Amino acid sequence: MSVFPALGPLLAIAAGALAVILAEAFFKRENKDHLAFLSLAVLLVSGWLAVRLWGRNAEAFGGTLRFDDAAVFLTLLLLAGTAFVVLMGMRHIVRQRMNDGEFYGLLLLAAAGLVIMVSSGNFVAVFLGLEVLSVSSYALAGLKRGDERSTEAAAKYFLIGSFAAAFIVFGLALLFGGSGTLELTEIAAAGTIPLLALAGLALVLGGFAFKLALVPFHMWQPDVYEGAPTPVTAFFAFGPKAAGFLVLLRLLLPYWQSGFKKEAVFSVLWAVAAATMLVSSLAALRQRNVKRMLAYSSIAHAGYLLIAVLSKDASGLLFYLANYLFLSMGAFGVLAALGRDGVERTNLEDFAGLGARFPWMGGLFAVFVFGLAGFPPTGGFLAKFYVFSAAVREGHTALVLIAVLSSLISVYYYLRVVVFMYMRRSEGEEAAVDFENPPLLLVLFLCLYGVLQLGIFPSYILTFVRRAAESLF
Amino acid sequence: MSIPILSLVAFLPLAGAALLLFLPRENKVLLYGIALAFTIAVFLFSLPLHFAFDGGTADPQFVERANWLGLGIEYHVGVDGISLYLVLMTTFLMPLALLASWSHIRDRIKEYLFFMLLLETGMIGVFIALNLFLFYVFWEAALIPMVFLIGMWGGRRRVYASTKFVLFTMAGSLLMLVAMFVLYAAFFKETGTHSFALADLLNLSLAPKLQTWLFLAFGLAFAVKVPMFPFHTWLPDAHVEAPTAGSVILAAVLLKMGAYGFLRFAFPLFPEAAAKFLPVLAVLAVIGIIYGGFMALVQKDVKSLVAYSSVSHMGLIMLALFAGNTAGVQGAVIHMVNHGLSTGMLFLCVGILYERAHTRLIKDFGGVSGRMPVFAAFFLVAVLSSLGLPGLNGFVGEILCLYGAFAADKLWAVLAVTTVILAAAYLLGMFRRVMHGPIANDHIRAFRDLNGREIALLVPIVVLMFWIGLHPSTFLRKMDASVAQYVSRIKGRERVFVVKPLAAPVAVEAGRATE
Repeated sequence: MSVFPALGPLLAIAAGALAVILAEAFFKRENKDHLAFLSLAVLLVSGWLAVRLWGRNAEAFGGTLRFDDAAVFLTLLLLAGTAFVVLMGMRHIVRQRMNDGEFYGLLLLAAAGLVIMVSSGNFVAVFLGLEVLSVSSYALAGLKRGDERSTEAAAKYFLIGSFAAAFIVFGLALLFGGSGTLELTEIAAAGTIPLLALAGLALVLGGFAFKLALVPFHMWQPDVYEGAPTPVTAFFAFGPKAAGFLVLLRLLLPYWQSGFKKEAVFSVLWAVAAATMLVSSLAALRQRNVKRMLAYSSIAHAGYLLIAVLSKDASGLLFYLANYLFLSMGAFGVLAALGRDGVERTNLEDFAGLGARFPWMGGLFAVFVFGLAGFPPTGGFLAKFYVFSAAVREGHTALVLIAVLSSLISVYYYLRVVVFMYMRRSEGEEAAVDFENPPLLLVLFLCLYGVLQLGIFPSYILTFVRRAAESLF
Repeated sequence: MSIPILSLVAFLPLAGAALLLFLPRENKVLLYGIALAFTIAVFLFSLPLHFAFDGGTADPQFVERANWLGLGIEYHVGVDGISLYLVLMTTFLMPLALLASWSHIRDRIKEYLFFMLLLETGMIGVFIALNLFLFYVFWEAALIPMVFLIGMWGGRRRVYASTKFVLFTMAGSLLMLVAMFVLYAAFFKETGTHSFALADLLNLSLAPKLQTWLFLAFGLAFAVKVPMFPFHTWLPDAHVEAPTAGSVILAAVLLKMGAYGFLRFAFPLFPEAAAKFLPVLAVLAVIGIIYGGFMALVQKDVKSLVAYSSVSHMGLIMLALFAGNTAGVQGAVIHMVNHGLSTGMLFLCVGILYERAHTRLIKDFGGVSGRMPVFAAFFLVAVLSSLGLPGLNGFVGEILCLYGAFAADKLWAVLAVTTVILAAAYLLGMFRRVMHGPIANDHIRAFRDLNGREIALLVPIVVLMFWIGLHPSTFLRKMDASVAQYVSRIKGRERVFVVKPLAAPVAVEAGRATE
């Protein structure tokens, strides 16, 4: 069997990324929409190639890249997310005066990194993907060059990111020395020098905790999320987390069966999950900036995802990610619609009276926010439902109680935005909403559809999720 | 049944809400017309539930069951004698609540009606769900619209009140959700299959310690909603700030969701644990009765007076439930409906006064009956119904509740009787100060009496009040079988709290005889 099918989605997207960058260099045009359309086409082709891999378990390079069903499923989610970000950005980058074609090229490169991460069976390939992703992400965060916050975000992201990468590389070296393998699924079984391998594993997990912004390694995230241009933030909130959690799941699923010192590793991650949920929720309470609040909320969601990893709930994790795609893209999408030329308006006060002035936009944001808080009938409820119920079945009731407490706190801060939108009148200059932005409105509509479809009639998606989850065991 | 009548009743309001979204927001008459038409249609569709309901069997009727998400999560609805009248009360009161809003909800009407219709779907769903998952979904779905109703159209402290309401409720219901997971997992462990169906979970025998925790989690969610002392503090805030129709629905239906939860889920699912906690719960109920009554006595604001009277009445309903005998449970169910009607009407009357005076402080009124004789008559009926005058509905419920409580424990019953005395004191005292005496100020001189719309919305309630008061068996006989089955299920496993052997049989006989 040739390697081409398994490489298809990756090749398409990497070639597309380069093509977009070249097109930007050679066809200097004021209007960059052609780059957006080219990117969308590339994502579509890549997605189509990925769909064709469903159920085939295609491999390349001796299993270094392996598209099992879970990888295909997540690749599709990631490509969809990237497409949403492209659409969200089309008008946004013009209005925010950062109209550079690099936006699309970097985004596609980052997406290529994500696809490598989700489809790799080997830690070296994971690291490769992670770096492709990270380097493009640093540049994306600083895309708004004239803006201090954006620059600061890029610098911070770069420093912390490279620091974490160093941890991971060093950990991999120790892991390889200790266990003799870097295959994700074999690390658990091997163990010639267990202690060395354990130290390596600890470093690798620490590095991932940095990248996924799990408490206590989360400090950078609110700054980066707040400083980065909003569509980019939307990308950060979904892409890296989704890919990172699938890698964690691939690593830890076999590990929970037969890993060395698995109880110790489990209790550390248990504590990390608990701290992640509580600290982020409490910190979110204090935020006056909605973008920053959503950054903390995305940390909290990482905590819930970690519960799924701890309770071996692959289908719960995948379903949660599918929901989180629509919820986070939707919420950040509304944020992207606010503001005036060159200025983003994301303070709580900017939301005052939004529900009355722009009923549809306010209503959409309310739906996304209630979805993030986990209210039925949105998919957010069902996602939490599956993850929590699996955790209880595995006997992690205490962790679920902490998660529930965190959800309760989160209800308060999500509700506060709604209170501002519907129950306060605006004072001072009112934030404008960008309605002449069909691509963004399309994204919001698709997200609304996704949130409700997954919340009310998810059976069809669930069959795919369950098949994808089976491929992990 | 070929027509899925329950689904129709539950989801027609949702369809109405969806339709409203696409109507122009300026056209008030059209918006109200559509919303009213939908709620009236829902009421008409719900009437066959009463007529076609077979009172001879305890099994759920009009059952619809379909797979929804798999793994035990089904769309499974039905009504039995206990939920039947709660559904009917909801569908009956909704059009009246909308009609009452006509004159005082002036801004953002479209959103207002949207949330009201959404709320109706949530509330009806809670009463008809026979699958725990479905129940939880509706339970939460009924919460959000109420938050908006209080927060957007409420009084001065509306944001505080609505936030408090949602946090109190969510604290309870999230723990209940965890308890549901535990039940689900326990069922899976025992049988190897997944199920959230209430009927399946009822067969589960759980270890006492586990039962205790689960009962506490469910109990907390419901106790907050009822609300039982000491979880009641959200209620006066929510009631005082809510718009009139919001108060009506809150008192009439949302509080019943808590009592209904005890009746349908907490007690039958965890009978041993329930029996263990009954003394505590009974004490809390009695405290609620007395405390609510005394608080109502000293309120300066008419609306918070009615709110505290709710705490007191709900205490009596809970005490009767905890008695766990036929008279008590039947009394609790019928009194839930009565309380819905009488307190709902009291709130409507307070709303009518407020629209004219723009104040609710008792001291600002006086001699209103001179200017509004027709209103005075209606208000008096509401007051008398609420304090349990024979011939009106409140008496039937109260007497059954007290019989039931007496049969179970004389001391509690004696303490609970204070509800009658206190209710007479605070309600008649309020009525005297507001309606009688010399006309207090010039504002009142300018009051106009009820208009046609206001009379139209009060008359149906009064008719029903007399109906239940004079001929309660129309309703009681439909619930006989369900209540009997419930009682035998509770009794079958464990005795109800401190039963004193001498008094019990006599009082139960007396209770049966009056029916």
